[in-house]
Amino acid sequence: MEGQVALLLAVSLLVLGLGTLLSRRNVIWKLLGLNVASGGAALFLVAVGHRPQAVPPILGWGPGPAADPLPQALILTAIVIHFATLALSLVYVIFLTEHLHTQDVPKLERGEDE
Amino acid sequence: MTAALAGVLGYFLAGTLELLRTKTGPCWGLVAWAGGLISLALWAPGFPESKLGGPLWGISLVGDPIALAFWCFIPLVHAAVGWHERRRPATFHGLVTLLVGTCLATVLSRDLFNLFVCLELNSLLSFLLIGFDARSRAVWASLQYLILTTVGMILYLVGLGLVYGELGTLSLAQISTLAVDFSTPSLAVGAGLLVAGAAVKAGVFLLGLWLPLAYREAPTGVSTLLAGLVGKMGIVTLARLAQALPVGPLVVSLGVVTGFGGLIYALWERDLKVFLAYQVMSQVGYMLIGFGLGGPAFFGALLYTVACCLYKGLLFQAAGQAVEAVGKRDIPSLAGRLPGPAAIGLAVGTAAIVGLPPLAGFVGKELLGVMVPPAFSWTLTILTLGTAASFSKLLPLFRMGPAAGERGAVTLLTAGVLGFSSWGLLSLPSLWAPSLWLRALAAVAVGFGLHLVIHRLDIRLPKIGLDRAALVSLVGSVGLALATVLWL
Repeated sequence: MEGQVALLLAVSLLVLGLGTLLSRRNVIWKLLGLNVASGGAALFLVAVGHRPQAVPPILGWGPGPAADPLPQALILTAIVIHFATLALSLVYVIFLTEHLHTQDVPKLERGEDE
Repeated sequence: MTAALAGVLGYFLAGTLELLRTKTGPCWGLVAWAGGLISLALWAPGFPESKLGGPLWGISLVGDPIALAFWCFIPLVHAAVGWHERRRPATFHGLVTLLVGTCLATVLSRDLFNLFVCLELNSLLSFLLIGFDARSRAVWASLQYLILTTVGMILYLVGLGLVYGELGTLSLAQISTLAVDFSTPSLAVGAGLLVAGAAVKAGVFLLGLWLPLAYREAPTGVSTLLAGLVGKMGIVTLARLAQALPVGPLVVSLGVVTGFGGLIYALWERDLKVFLAYQVMSQVGYMLIGFGLGGPAFFGALLYTVACCLYKGLLFQAAGQAVEAVGKRDIPSLAGRLPGPAAIGLAVGTAAIVGLPPLAGFVGKELLGVMVPPAFSWTLTILTLGTAASFSKLLPLFRMGPAAGERGAVTLLTAGVLGFSSWGLLSLPSLWAPSLWLRALAAVAVGFGLHLVIHRLDIRLPKIGLDRAALVSLVGSVGLALATVLWL
C-alpha cells in the first residue's frame, strides 16, 4: 500500500515538474520545475525498492524483511548531482539577469551581446 | 582493469589539481595525458568484464573493442584541444582534463547507474566549458543544453528504476545473459525511457535539439571536444543498451530519423558552425543504424564512430579558427578570407566526410555499407548523397585568404584522419577494389549535382527554441516508451 502511494506521488511530482518546465516562460520557474521532476524521479527509485511490511535497511532494525538498500544508495548520488546542476544553472541565471536584464525565455533567446 | 582504473583516476586527480593552479596553460593535464597513454599500453588489447568493489554488487567495467577504440583516439583529441587553447587559464584546462576523464570512464562502464553518473558529470563539465567565455549568448546556449540534457537524464533515471524493479540488477553484462523479452509492460517502458534519455544526450534529431546552439556558441577548442568526443558518449550508451536489451529496432529507427532530419536542416543552413552541428546529427544516424542492427554491423558502426570523431573534430577545429579569424559566421561571407590552416583543415575534413577515397569517411562508410542488410545499405547511400550535396556549399571556403593562422591543432587532427585512413586501407585489402572507388567518386559527383539544384530553392525550416525543443524531447520520449510496449 505505502509502496503504491509513493509511486503515485512520484509520478505526480514528475508530471507537475515537467508541466511547469513546459508551461512557464520564466527561466527560474523552469529550473524549479526541473528540480521537482528530479525529486519525483528520486522518489520513484526509492519506491521501487519497497517491499511489503519492510523496515528501513539499517542493521539491527529488528526482524522482518528490509527494503532494498541499493536504490536508496543510488539516489543519494543522484540527489547530489541534481543539487549541483541546480546550483550551477542558478549561477548562470544570475549572470544572464545581470547582462540581459530579463529572465523571460523568449527574450533571452533573442538576447544580443552587450 | 587496475591499469584502466588508474588512468581514469589519474585524469580526475590531475584535473582537480589543475583547477587549483592560478597560472595559464596546461600542466597537470599533460601529466594526466601521459598517464592515460601508459594506462592504455598496460591494459590493451582488453580485459574481461570485472566488478569494481566486489563480485556481487560491484560496478561492471569492461575493456572491450568499444573502450579500446575510444581510448586510442581520445589522447589525440585532448592534445589538439590542449594545444589550441594553451593560452587559457589553468581552470579551463582543469575542466577539460576532468571532462576527458569522464569520457574515458564512460566507455569502460557497463553498469546502468554508473553510465548515468558519467553522463551527468559529462553534461555538467560541458556546461561550464560552453559558457566559459562569459558571453551572454554562450551562457544561454549552455543553460539550454543543461536544461534539456537534465530532462533526458530524469527520464533515464525513471527507466533505470523500472528496469531494476523488474530484473533486480543494474549490470548490463548480467542483463545481456538474461535473454530479456518485453512481455512485461513496465520493463518495456523502462527500456524505452533508457533509450530516450541516452538519445537526448546523444543529440538525436527531435530528441536532442540542444545540439546546434551549444555547438555554435562554444569556444573553438570546446566545440572540437564536443564534436570529436563528448557528443559521442550518448551514442556509446545507446550502443551498450542495444548490446544488452532487445531494443535494436528502436535504435535503428532513431538512426534513420536523425540521419534524414539532421541532413534536411543542414542543406539550407548558412551559419558554418550550425551547419556542421546539423551534419553531426546526421552522421549519428549512420552509427545508430549500425549499432542497432548488431552483429557485424556493430563493428562497422564502431569504426565509423572513430572515423567520424576524428574528422568532425577536425572540421569544428578548422571552422572555429575560421570564425575566430574572420569574425563572421555565415558561409558566403567567409569565402576566400580563411587563414591557410583553417582552409586546409576544412578541405581535408570535407573530403573525408563525403567519403572521397582513400580518406577516413570512405573507409568507414564502405565498411558499414558492406556489413548492413541491403535495405539499409540503400538508406546509407541516400544519406551519403545528401552529405555530399550539403557539403558542396563549402567549396568557396577552400580558397585561402591572406591571413596566417595557427597550425598545431589542425595538423594533429589531420594526422589523425590520415592515420585512420591508412590503417583502414592497410588492414582491409578489400577496400582497394576499383569498383568501390568509382562508386564513391560517383556518389560525390551526384551529390554535387544535387547541390546545384538545391541551392536555388529557398526553404525556411521552422526555428527551434527551448520550449519547442523540450516539448518534442518529452513527446518523443513518451513515444519511444509506447513504441517499445506496442511494437517490440
